[in-house]
Formats: sequence, C-alpha cells, structure tokens
Amino acid sequence: MECLSHKSEIINTFSSVRNFSFKEKQSPLLDEEQMNGFLDAILDFKKGLTEKTQTIYEFNDRIERLTWFNDLDEECLMLSNDLISSAKDLWSSLIRQYVSMNFIRSKGIAKNEIKDFKNALDEFKESYMDLESTLFFLPEMPDFIETTKQLSLVR
Amino acid sequence: MNIYCLEDFKVEFEKLKSKKSYNSFEQEIISYFFGKTKEELCSGTRLNLSEDAPYIKKRLKGRGGFRCYFLLILKGENLYLMYAHPKTGSMGASNIDDKSKAYLYKKVLTCIKSNDLYQLELNDTSKSIKFIKL
Repeated sequence: MECLSHKSEIINTFSSVRNFSFKEKQSPLLDEEQMNGFLDAILDFKKGLTEKTQTIYEFNDRIERLTWFNDLDEECLMLSNDLISSAKDLWSSLIRQYVSMNFIRSKGIAKNEIKDFKNALDEFKESYMDLESTLFFLPEMPDFIETTKQLSLVR
Repeated sequence: MNIYCLEDFKVEFEKLKSKKSYNSFEQEIISYFFGKTKEELCSGTRLNLSEDAPYIKKRLKGRGGFRCYFLLILKGENLYLMYAHPKTGSMGASNIDDKSKAYLYKKVLTCIKSNDLYQLELNDTSKSIKFIKL
C-alpha cells in the first residue's frame, strides 16, 4: 500500500512539473507585447527628458542675452529679480528630479540623456547666478564701478 | 582684432595645454577668437553692462567645456584674454566668485595701463598660438 502512495506522489509531482514546464515554455518572463511596452516606456522617458533638457538650454541662452540689454530701468530690474527667483525655484525642482533618477541611472538606462540633463541644470544655475551678479552684485562693488569708468576712457 | 592676454591667462593656458584631457583648449581659443569680427565676439554673458568695453564670460566647447573671461575694447578693436578654466575633469572648477571677477577686471585695467601684456599670434600653420611679451 505504501508503495502505491509513493508512486502516486511521484506521478503527481512529475505531472505538476511537466505542466508548469510546458506553460513556462509558452510564456517567457516578458512576452513580446510586455517587452515592447517596457521599451516604449524607456523611449518615452528618454524623449521627455531630452525635450526638458533642450528647454533648459534655451533658457540659458535667453538669460545670457539679457546681459546685453542696455539702460535697464527699475521695472526691468524688478522683473529680472522675479525671473532669477523663479529660475532658482525651477532649479530646485529639477535637481530633485535628477536625484530621483539615480536608480534608473545605476541600471545604465538613459545614461547619456540623464548626463546631459544634469549638465543643462549646472549651466542653468550658472546662467541665473551670473545674471544676478551682473545686475545686482557687481554694480554694488565700488572697485568694479571705478574700473568700468576708467576702462571707458581706454582706446 | 588685436588679441592680448594677461599673465593669468597664459599660466592657465600652459597648464591646460600640458594635460592630455584638455588638449582641445588651444584649438577652441583659436577657432573662437581668431579672425572674428567684434560683432561675432559680443556674445556670452556681459558682466559689466558696458557698451564700449564689454567684460565677457564665454562658454567654450559647448556642454561642460571651458569658461573664458575677456575684455573687448571695441573702439580700438583690442581683445584681452583674462582668465580661463575648464568646467570638468581634474582641473575643473565651478563658477568663479564675484570677488575674483572684480579682481580680474581691475587687473586687466592695470595691465593695459602698464602694458604688462602678451600679444597672441598664430604660428605659420595657424594651429598653435605664440605669446609675445610686450
């Protein structure tokens, strides 16, 4: 009797393994549809990040061009001050986004896009800080003002 | 455009040139500054808001790259390279602070007045820069 129950258990186990094996052979971990969905999500992420990076680079150029405007009045300076505050706020949000990409980056996904995004952020910070220096800090330094005066006499 | 530089620029230039990872620096300087009109050179961040003698910070070699500080005296068509540094790598540095910007600015004025400058010229093949002490 005991022998029969052993046999039945072996057959049951064999049957379970065989069925499971057959099923797994037909459906790998990710089927084609799932894999395509996964790759699409990566491509969407890369595309979105590249667009965001491009926008930041455009901001950098536009902020740089503001330093070539002459005779800025009080209202323009106030608006520029608002722009600088808003740029600082944007940078804080974006750098948080960058930090949250650490996991993705460590897996080697969208490495170049993330690197370029970080570089755009660094340059963005540099641009608004330079604008702030140019409009508000350097003109408050007496030495700096005096040098500008004297240089205007150099031919 | 006549191109001059301060000792500070020459020192940094030679340091960068001796490093393999920064060997594109000399070509960047040649292609950006030599043979250019003053209109083409009026780009970057203008630090002093001056119309006649803009003090400019320029990003070179696109992303990452180098930062170059220079003064343009538009009437005389003279350009003074003041300082440069790479943004990344072993000699990379972040933005220079306002005190350093003001220091370089004052120094270029002193050097122009005392003629303590180097003139920059290209060699025969136009591939490297010669520094001639004035």
